[in-house]
Amino acid sequence: MPIYFNDREIVLPGQLLSDDSRRAGEGTYVMDGKVYAATVGAATIRDGKVEVITFRGPYKPAAGDMIIGVVSDIKPIGVEVDLGGHVTALLKVKNVKELASLDLKVGDVVYARVSSSGLKGVLLELNEQFKKINEGVLLRMTPTKIPRLIGKRGSMINMLKKITGCNIMVGTNGFVIVNGPSPAKEFAAISAIRLIEREAHSQGLTDKVMAYLSKLVGGEVSHDTGDKA
Amino acid sequence: MTQVIKPKLIDENGIRLDGRGPTDLRPLRIEVSVLEKSDGSAYVELGKTKVYAAVYGPKEAHPKHLAIPDRAILNCRYHMTSFSTDERKILGMTRREIELSKVIREALESVVFLEEFPRSAIDVFVEVVQADGGTRTAGLTAASLALADAGIPMRELIAAVAVGKVDGTIILDPSDIEDKYGEADMPIGVAPESNTIVLLQLNGKMTKDEFRRGLELARVGIQKIYQAQREALRRKYGASTTEV
Repeated sequence: MPIYFNDREIVLPGQLLSDDSRRAGEGTYVMDGKVYAATVGAATIRDGKVEVITFRGPYKPAAGDMIIGVVSDIKPIGVEVDLGGHVTALLKVKNVKELASLDLKVGDVVYARVSSSGLKGVLLELNEQFKKINEGVLLRMTPTKIPRLIGKRGSMINMLKKITGCNIMVGTNGFVIVNGPSPAKEFAAISAIRLIEREAHSQGLTDKVMAYLSKLVGGEVSHDTGDKA
Repeated sequence: MTQVIKPKLIDENGIRLDGRGPTDLRPLRIEVSVLEKSDGSAYVELGKTKVYAAVYGPKEAHPKHLAIPDRAILNCRYHMTSFSTDERKILGMTRREIELSKVIREALESVVFLEEFPRSAIDVFVEVVQADGGTRTAGLTAASLALADAGIPMRELIAAVAVGKVDGTIILDPSDIEDKYGEADMPIGVAPESNTIVLLQLNGKMTKDEFRRGLELARVGIQKIYQAQREALRRKYGASTTEV
């Protein structure tokens, strides 16, 4: 199967990537059985699919996404949640009693699963995963770079959590909540997230972040434990 | 009454008023990501013509009844600043600007995947800061780059250029004075990868043969502009990978 790009090459919209339409992934489109780039980004092959890692771009909601959003309106039929910029989702409730039991105000931050996204708009699910977030630092990063923050099977995010000791929640829509034991550790986690955002398309990122973190946290962690001991 | 004397636009050696040959573009400069507050932006300079384009969105369509359930709406505003012309242009949208907004919007709609963003709106602003002919084509060139810069999925970029006819000669990229005193002006917008025409207007008179030659000449110019567009994007985004 011919491929018309080098790995991590910068491609532009309309650039031919492959002849095999079955291998079209994120950031590409198929025309006449051929795969073309749809956005500016770095082209790569992931899980056998040709993909363009977009440098920046809007969030596209899909069913099953776990999102973090800010409550923007309370309506009789449910709660409107702002997913950052252009999309608002609706969390439907059955009755007023249920709405009251949620105890949400405008400005509250929630974590929820997208149940459907389509002609009826974006709908959120009220299930056991639904959570109201009461503490932590709310960050916003480019939604296209969230997959890098999570890493392969969560490798990156788990490493971040382990080293910094912070609880990190990631919303596919680009919002991230960092909640740590101390401001210094939160700062370390946030700096690492910013580093990932800046260098999302470079190779060996996990190692780089690990080195960066141990530089930041390394001293502080031993210092902290030393104080407490 | 004073009579306007038509200047000689092309001398006996085939050199134009600004020293170009008939098939030359004006000096071209393209940059992307020039406006910080926008989601995507671009700047195109073609001789004395200077145009900014900015993209905001996709965001929620307002007012809400304008939103389309299965795709995004594209709003486009082509505007000339009041200081962009020799004589001060009145504030606000003139008839001409409303028309050009429409043709630019329709050209862009043919390449952007609007169905990816149901119920939302994408705003495109084209602002002409200095006008010397060919502002709609420079605006369209800039607008397509700004959309790409905003990360909005699109089939391909658009490059546009005008061709004209002065003193019986077909010329590429007419300036303001050539447009005013020439016999014809034909702005053309092309999606270069698939070679589709997305914008074509014609002001004045051309024979069938002249039209064909004009179109051919425009394609040559568009290839040069497209090359510059790609370089501009690569310059911006290529740098971000090498500095790693």
